[in-house]
Amino acid sequence: MTSAVSLVDRVKGILGPGEGARVEQQKGYLEVTVDAGSLRDAAARLKAAGFDHVKSVTAVDYPAKNQIKVIYHASSMLDEELSKYVVGLATLVDRDDPVVPSLVGVWLSAEFQEREVYEHFGVRFDGHPDLRPLLLTPGLAAQRPLRKDFKVVEEDDYLKSTFEEYTSTRRWV
Amino acid sequence: MTGETGTGNGKSNAGGNGKAARLFSRSNMYVVDMDEMVRRAKGILAKGPIPAMVDWANAFSLWPVHLMTSCCGCEIGAAWGPRFDNERYGSLPWISPRQTNLIIIEGTVTRKMACSLRIAWEQMPYPKFAIAMGVCALDGGLFYNSYNIVRPWQVIPVDVFIPGCPPRPEAVARSIVELQRKIREEGVASRWLVEGEREDLRNIIPKEDLCGWRGEEIDLSSKFG
Repeated sequence: MTSAVSLVDRVKGILGPGEGARVEQQKGYLEVTVDAGSLRDAAARLKAAGFDHVKSVTAVDYPAKNQIKVIYHASSMLDEELSKYVVGLATLVDRDDPVVPSLVGVWLSAEFQEREVYEHFGVRFDGHPDLRPLLLTPGLAAQRPLRKDFKVVEEDDYLKSTFEEYTSTRRWV
Repeated sequence: MTGETGTGNGKSNAGGNGKAARLFSRSNMYVVDMDEMVRRAKGILAKGPIPAMVDWANAFSLWPVHLMTSCCGCEIGAAWGPRFDNERYGSLPWISPRQTNLIIIEGTVTRKMACSLRIAWEQMPYPKFAIAMGVCALDGGLFYNSYNIVRPWQVIPVDVFIPGCPPRPEAVARSIVELQRKIREEGVASRWLVEGEREDLRNIIPKEDLCGWRGEEIDLSSKFG
């Protein structure tokens, strides 16, 4: 527990007085929410301090606040003390036109995961080298299927017996 | 003089038969309607003992290529392993769809994977069969009512379904035996060989809908039959 507290201080020291004040500690997990403008700078400082890779990039949709939160989970492989912890570097962007500066230049492992966030949430990453849909077909990615307002076509408990009956409620492309 | 005898020979050979005259040209070359010959050959194939031999040979040479999309692939590995030795049914897992006649779909198929499944199936030579393994391949299973999956029976014609999550290796062995029974009793292989196409092919999604997102011309359809 003492090491976790010291980690909070350490991350606060890494991020400086501005963003360091916004570090929130949850159980075994630190999260800091920064502005989209200073995201790349904060990531570079974390990288220089030993957080050398991104474990996951994800996003949360807040339709009521009209915001999308993009979170980078950074950890360490080389530093034994830092490798026990995960730091979430988050930023809040506008939901209608979400643009986040890409962190591929800082953490190379963020490249494919930013592509996933792009296709599932429609968040555009400024400066990404190859921003294409990764797992979904382009027609499906255009619908942004992990946003809260995406409606999945409800199916019955029983499978439709004929092909025509089944495909009448489905879009394929 | 010789030229006159040549034409005269051609006429005298024809005799009263106009059809032979059409077949036998002046330069001693046969001109045959290949479509007619293929139709006659298929007519010969459809009768006699040949269909039974074709079905028998196909039933004991089911070589599967497996489309391992999910956890059912572990059970496939066990099914052809030493404990549940499926090779005793004349079946051997192979690496390429171009040399196999059976495809086993192991688990759920996403919309993007459906294009690959269709292309792999079209690369296989006739007569070809398909086994859909696991409850994901039946109706979605764990991913039922999800936005990103298709059912394999909408992509290719499937012969045998194996329920289970995942099915036991014994169930896989049972499906091989069941497919053998279906081939030999219903004559799937020989009927396909004669007709060149299956009836249930019309019930699957068109390839433009599956692979249209690639934005390229894909024509890998096999030229058999």
